[in-house]
Amino acid sequence: MKILIIEDERGLRESIEEYFMEAGNICETASSYPEAISKVNLYRYDCILLDITLPGGSGIEILKTLKENNYTDGVLIISAKNSLDDRLQGLDLGADDYLVKPFHLSELKARVSAIIRRKTFNGSNLLQFNELAIDLLAKTVKANNQQIKLTRKEYALLLYFIANKGKVVSKNAIAEHLWGDGIDMANNFDFIYSHIKNLRKKMIEAGSNDYIQASYGMGYKFTDE
Amino acid sequence: MKLLTRYNRVNLVTTIVVMLITGFIYYQAISLILTKQLDKDLVVEENEVFEYVNLNHQLPQVFESNDQQITFTSADPGSVTRHFLNTVYRNKRDDDDHPRKHRHRHEEYESGRGLISSVTVGNKYYQILIVESKVETEDLIQIIFGITAGLILLLLIILFVTNRLLLNRLWQPFYNLLKELRLFNVADSKDIPVVNTTIDEFEELNQAIISMSSRVKSDYKDLKTFTENASHELLTPIAVINSKLDTLIQTDNFSQQQSKLLNDLYSAVSRLTRLNQSLLLLVKIENRLLEDGQLINLRESVEEMLIQFEEIFQDKELKTSSELADKELNASPYLVDILLNNLLSNAIRHNHKGGEIRIKLTNEELVIQNTGENIALENDYIFTRFHKSSGSEGSGLGLTISRQICENLGFTLDYDFEGSYHTFTVTF
Repeated sequence: MKILIIEDERGLRESIEEYFMEAGNICETASSYPEAISKVNLYRYDCILLDITLPGGSGIEILKTLKENNYTDGVLIISAKNSLDDRLQGLDLGADDYLVKPFHLSELKARVSAIIRRKTFNGSNLLQFNELAIDLLAKTVKANNQQIKLTRKEYALLLYFIANKGKVVSKNAIAEHLWGDGIDMANNFDFIYSHIKNLRKKMIEAGSNDYIQASYGMGYKFTDE
Repeated sequence: MKLLTRYNRVNLVTTIVVMLITGFIYYQAISLILTKQLDKDLVVEENEVFEYVNLNHQLPQVFESNDQQITFTSADPGSVTRHFLNTVYRNKRDDDDHPRKHRHRHEEYESGRGLISSVTVGNKYYQILIVESKVETEDLIQIIFGITAGLILLLLIILFVTNRLLLNRLWQPFYNLLKELRLFNVADSKDIPVVNTTIDEFEELNQAIISMSSRVKSDYKDLKTFTENASHELLTPIAVINSKLDTLIQTDNFSQQQSKLLNDLYSAVSRLTRLNQSLLLLVKIENRLLEDGQLINLRESVEEMLIQFEEIFQDKELKTSSELADKELNASPYLVDILLNNLLSNAIRHNHKGGEIRIKLTNEELVIQNTGENIALENDYIFTRFHKSSGSEGSGLGLTISRQICENLGFTLDYDFEGSYHTFTVTF
């Protein structure tokens, strides 16, 4: 997939680029409004990560340009402004999602994956990962055609892992994804451990491989390697 | 003490003192004048006696008029010096055909004014004592004094009443201003209005208050803008730290010590993030920027929240019981969500393993009770910013935000310690 990262903060831009860089992905970056607008006018992307406050112009203008030209690139706004108006304006102008800074890269990846999935599969709601088949509409998971009964949280967790396959996902990121940023019982992540234990158990019982690895007590990695 | 009362008191006391002094002087002056008048009468009488003696070479017949007595007594020649004196007038009790009616009618003695003089008839030397009753003069003085006192009293009453009415009316702009000041809210957009007055002092006061309030408001706004901007500016570096941490853990091979350090960093960054978001949220709530009112069924919101926290309840082995009635609210769903989240998070965070959480929703109130440390919290402090119990991982803003949300929605949020339950009550 082809991704354009429009972000003026170098540190953040590079981190995102690095995180998204993997086999089969092309990442391009733009650090200012003119650079971004010229790239947007020249190439099409599967997803554009768009910062609103840019040197030389507003990200909202880029969004408008996309809409005027009927470009169907997926757009995820990443902004420091968490105001309702901005969010609504962005979504009204055709952005697919809105993520407020600061965020975990794994969360960003999951959101981008969801956008691309919606754009490219065009109605097909089946997500395949080796022997795992996930029906995104019915929210059911099968391993080798055998149904795995998951709770809401376990299902969300599995999708999150698949979107971030091959990456270490921190416990903080998982907690925030599942319980929102309202959760601040950060000193106790035991309940995440038990969740993951349950998910693993259910998957293995259904005949799936064990893809989830604990990573140095910091997080978990979903990998088939 | 009210200014009017104070003013009236001072006014009354000084008026009475001044009136008493003038009254005394007035009395003295009148009695002096009247005594002089009496003395003149006495001299006239004396002259009559002298004329009579000159003409007839004998003492006149001693007669008694109603108010006058003349007595002659023989004395040693030259022993009498002529002088006036205050003496006693002896009134006859059986004097029934007395033409005047006065209080002293049946008394034997009245105060009188006398003149002692002397006359020589032939070779005999006589002392003359002419006494005139002072009753009439005293009556006159009393009447004059009475009228004056009455006038003074009337004047005082009129002064008092007009002062009261007039001052009350005069001070009205002041009271109006006071009312406006009481209603003044620095976060409010409403300005202090111009009070209609023609009195310079009040006009100046009004102007001063108006300019002060607008200055305070603009300072407050600047401060809030600063908080908001500072929080915004902090978001980007936090985002960078967060993303760098996420990138860092992708690199392989960490020792146990390194991974512990990374975990601590993650926790600190996430706390920083939440603190920052709480500050921004607080500014927004205070600025009333989040007022997208919608009809919400609070029962459903609470139920959703309970499902959201289910795993955490299980993990902490918390027993939850809820008794929820339907309650519809017109409020921002975002704010209600934050309110419920904060209150429930608190109930979980400050609970002990195996504790209990009770939630009750009625049409009037939402009550969230939890077990925890068996000591009541200090009601005054828990709602202040950055107040938190030792060892709390929270931002210290949760309850401040909750109370602010309640205020915005027109509710009240109160804390109470009932039995062994920490109880937070939202009254609609």
